[in-house]
Amino acid sequence: MKSEGLKYFTDTHLTAMGLLIFFLFFVGVMIWVYRKNSTEIYAHMEQIPLKDGE
Amino acid sequence: MNTSGNLIEKIYYDDDIVKKFVLATMIWAGAAFLFGLIAALQLAYWPMNANLEWITFGRLRPLHTNAAIFAFAGNAIFAGIYHSSQRLLKTRMFSNLLSKMHFWGWQLIILSAAITLPLGYSQSKEYAELEWPIDIAITVVWVIFAINFFMTIRQRREKHMYVAIWFYISTIITVAVLHIVNSIEIPVTFLQSYPVYAGIQDALVQWWYGHNAVAFFLTTPFLGLMYYYVPKAANRPVYSYRLSIIHFWALVFIYIWAGPHHLLYTSLPEWAQTLGMIFSIMLWAPSWGGMINGLLTLKGSWHLLKTEPLIKFFVAALTFYGMSTFEGPLLSIKSISAVGHYTDWIVGHVHSGALGWNGFLTFGMIYYLVPRLWRTELYSKKLLENHFWIGLTGVLLYYTSMVVAGITQGLMWLAVGEDGTLVYPDFIETVVRIVPLYWVRALGGFLFIVGFVMMCYNIYKTIKLAPKEQHDAYIEVSRSGYDELTKGHRKLEGMGAVFSVLAFLAIAVGSVIEIYPTLSLHRYVNPNNIVDPYSPLELAGRDIYIKEGCYVCHSQQIRPIASEVMRYGAASTVEESMYDRPFQWGSKRTGPDLSRLGKKYPNLWHYSHMLDPRAVTPKSIMPNYPWLAEKKTDFLVLRKKLSVMKQLDVPYADDVVANADIYAQKQAKEIAADLESNGAPKGLEDKEIVALIAYLQSLGQKGKVQ
Repeated sequence: MKSEGLKYFTDTHLTAMGLLIFFLFFVGVMIWVYRKNSTEIYAHMEQIPLKDGE
Repeated sequence: MNTSGNLIEKIYYDDDIVKKFVLATMIWAGAAFLFGLIAALQLAYWPMNANLEWITFGRLRPLHTNAAIFAFAGNAIFAGIYHSSQRLLKTRMFSNLLSKMHFWGWQLIILSAAITLPLGYSQSKEYAELEWPIDIAITVVWVIFAINFFMTIRQRREKHMYVAIWFYISTIITVAVLHIVNSIEIPVTFLQSYPVYAGIQDALVQWWYGHNAVAFFLTTPFLGLMYYYVPKAANRPVYSYRLSIIHFWALVFIYIWAGPHHLLYTSLPEWAQTLGMIFSIMLWAPSWGGMINGLLTLKGSWHLLKTEPLIKFFVAALTFYGMSTFEGPLLSIKSISAVGHYTDWIVGHVHSGALGWNGFLTFGMIYYLVPRLWRTELYSKKLLENHFWIGLTGVLLYYTSMVVAGITQGLMWLAVGEDGTLVYPDFIETVVRIVPLYWVRALGGFLFIVGFVMMCYNIYKTIKLAPKEQHDAYIEVSRSGYDELTKGHRKLEGMGAVFSVLAFLAIAVGSVIEIYPTLSLHRYVNPNNIVDPYSPLELAGRDIYIKEGCYVCHSQQIRPIASEVMRYGAASTVEESMYDRPFQWGSKRTGPDLSRLGKKYPNLWHYSHMLDPRAVTPKSIMPNYPWLAEKKTDFLVLRKKLSVMKQLDVPYADDVVANADIYAQKQAKEIAADLESNGAPKGLEDKEIVALIAYLQSLGQKGKVQ
């Protein structure tokens, strides 16, 4: 049944692209988040709600 | 100037708009909960339908869901966003006028929903039932909100956009995309339209919308609120800011793909079902990332549960969020879905999210906000405690009763004996068994409302305690984060427009890949199985079926599961619903599937069944529909209806379109004559019941290869 359904779906390049974009994006986010010297900025970011004067 | 040399500015936050949204949240919450309780009682005790068309379950249920999602949760989101964004961005909202237009526009939309849905003006598209003029109004109001929000971001004094703002951005962008794509329809009359999508296209688009309404209306904005209000209430920062970033992007990217898990075992192409299942399972990680981050924010502060009891609501909300986001992917596994789909398990799952996650988070937020907004103390912490425990008992009763009912019914449907026959061949057997659990559910809902009433009293007394003169107080702020930008730090979080485009791309990738292929419907249609379109009278009957909300209790989709094929007949095919606008595959079976109903019973059976279901099925819990035998079918509008259908590529001959009313009246006379000859009253040919019977008798009868 799966092959029956899949034979109508010929746009495999679309899902491959989706997978690639997601994977690269996710890796990018991980690198961005854990890059060097970022601890200081996150320490600032997490304090934002607590420093709104209320 | 402060010590670091930054200019200190005095600003006045617009708390008036927040107060308005808070009060609107409470008013509409009361309405949503009450509609829900009545609906629950109707399922336990059918006379609660009161033979009134406006409050019969089929019309009340969409009213309840719309009130819960868009009125209660919607106003809560706006209250929280307007309050927290101003503080996180250190600026007043961009425009008082736009804020007011947003508030009153949204309330008018809710009011128009509350009027049109009971009157039967419904597209029967789940969570998108409202007709096209209201759809346009929603778009306009959402754009007003978006302009106001993004312009507020633009004029902010805090360069860094805290993670809550990210969640708000993704919400605003995605809801706009979902609403517009799902609502493309062609008007027939002022309050009726046909969607441009049909059959599997419509199913996929609707559940792409439906699932992501849950994702981007009931999840992402509430996560944003959680990231602001939990740290505020606990007076400590979020557990891991890094985790919040990872879980944001993963959630936004993955959620959009998961819609097809609502269509497992349907005639949706297998690849789309598998895609939906896989992405749903992947959702486990980011969802739990959010839950863990929220709960661990309280690490080391659990004593606050005693001194700040409103935190109990946040803890319970996060626990329910974790529970329902564990259960969601679980139900997306095909073998589990085979048991749970179409049963009350799904209803329990949805309500653990809606009541537990959205409800409790909102209550916690309101308990936090009201004393601050009105500059006073909460009237009674004891009442708050009681609200929490009574409400929690209510949710747990609701959830457990529905899960037990769902699994019971699902297993009963699947049960096949050693002799190869169904163990419970009569559908009604599986309904009667779970009716006691419907009473437990109603009790749970009642307790939830009792808790809510306590809250209303507590909030009322709190506001009464507030000083009569409420002068706006200014707050001193200084610009921050702007000097860092020049050093190259945090460019992305500092660039509102770029960030928004990225968030849009994250949801667009999944949407395009998921929906694009099915827009080429012809690929999936076997030319040998192409069906005939409905006759004009059948189409009129179908619209009555849609108007009465029959889809909320009946499916028209036989799954390729042995017990289902044995009970109903051959599994449904793509071709059978290729002209169905909207599709009627259903999402819950309180009654049996209707795909193969046509010609199964005589016309008189249907007549008796609609007027008094117990006349043909003694233990039925279906409401009576006496007005169908009194109200007249509008034959003249059929020319317009067929003309729109033809415009949408339904193969109607010009002659049939031009004389649709005449064809319909001819068929109606034949059915009415048959009814009369079998003992029904005279003169039914122009009544809605006859058109509805024509539609029901056509189900499963349109295929060229039978």
